[in-house]
Amino acid sequence: MKLPIRVSEESREPIYHQIEAQVTSLIVGGQLPPGTPLPSIRVLSNDLKCSVITTRRAYQNLESKGFIKTVQGKGTFVKEMETEKMEETKQKVVMDAFERAVTQAEQVGLTAKGIRAIFDNVMNRREKGEEEGD
Amino acid sequence: MTKSIVLTKSLTKHYKKFTLGPIDFQIEEGTAVAIVGANGSGKSSFFRLLMNLLQPDEGSITLFDQSMNESEAEIKRKIGYSGGMLEPLGYLTVKEISSFFAYWYPTWDQEYYVNLINRYEIDTGMKFGKCSTGIKKRVEFIFSLSHHPTLLLLDEPSSGVDIVSQKKMKEDLIDFMEKGERSIVMATHSIDEVNSICDWITVFEKGQIIQSFNKDEIFEKWARVWVTDMTETIKQHPNFLELDVEPLQIVTNNWSEMEKELEKEGIAISHFQKMTLEEGLEYIISSESRNSIKKN
Repeated sequence: MKLPIRVSEESREPIYHQIEAQVTSLIVGGQLPPGTPLPSIRVLSNDLKCSVITTRRAYQNLESKGFIKTVQGKGTFVKEMETEKMEETKQKVVMDAFERAVTQAEQVGLTAKGIRAIFDNVMNRREKGEEEGD
Repeated sequence: MTKSIVLTKSLTKHYKKFTLGPIDFQIEEGTAVAIVGANGSGKSSFFRLLMNLLQPDEGSITLFDQSMNESEAEIKRKIGYSGGMLEPLGYLTVKEISSFFAYWYPTWDQEYYVNLINRYEIDTGMKFGKCSTGIKKRVEFIFSLSHHPTLLLLDEPSSGVDIVSQKKMKEDLIDFMEKGERSIVMATHSIDEVNSICDWITVFEKGQIIQSFNKDEIFEKWARVWVTDMTETIKQHPNFLELDVEPLQIVTNNWSEMEKELEKEGIAISHFQKMTLEEGLEYIISSESRNSIKKN
């Protein structure tokens, strides 16, 4: 029941937010289908070497957003989600990732034009790669 | 609702050349606290005071909202303690000690005890006093757990213990915390134990608590920041801790505040790295001793 998530040393985001974002991606990406049991707060804390205060906060946020549910005495599970909400969340996850990338680009002093050029560059490379069956 | 499992107020004990306290300490139900600090900083005395093996000169101790003076037996049945308590029973075999414990603790779980004895490969026919340091530690650890306490007080439980047993202890402690609202206070020198088990860290130095904080605070707020320039204003900033040259870098205990300050000074950040717990703790412990050398 080990989740493929990690806490980044380079990221400036708080740990609970990193956990939340990564679990959300795993759920909307289908890697964690509805009903999948999640590790307990204590076990996840041990895996990630962070305190239960932090993991509890991440789980509470995920629960209040309707991604997971805790059954007393049984544990925490991935919740069933409507297709519409799933799509909405996918959009949001990707949007957030772009927001972060743009913020970083601005920090190193790139202009809107420069950022767009990089985006096009990345997309071109991807498309090329896909054509070649990479 | 969270409630205090251990609460001490102005707890003080005077020795000829050393004073422990005044110590104000608190631990909430369901959390694990690491007590760290140099040898001789008062950690063991603190544990002995909590267990009423030493009497304080001043201050008070409340465990499970009860005072030790009024309900010692009741309180102690809910505690698992590992810190040299078995030494006076050294002439007995492990098996004989276990019958004492089984008699004393209403919640003693013989089956669990036997499991642990096998898991840690203990020969119960050995006299406790004849066991090696590592075996003694393992036996004490087993006795601290076998009556399913709600609070564990562990004084360096894994020091002198082999790597495989240390790993087992870690697993057993995580397992212990899994079973409901339980708490641990643990003195340790192992960063790995702090990382895997503990939520809060309390730093002892010369008989005093010098810092108490949520473990993640270091990772969230502390950072090493590589910069293009340095000014006096930055060096005077309360969140500035240390300067290193070649390449120019600073240690800060609040990078978001420091970032704003650097921006005001027109200094750019070339690289940024959050601090590991190990680096942060090293810094806290060594800077306190640096400061006290200066004071003396």
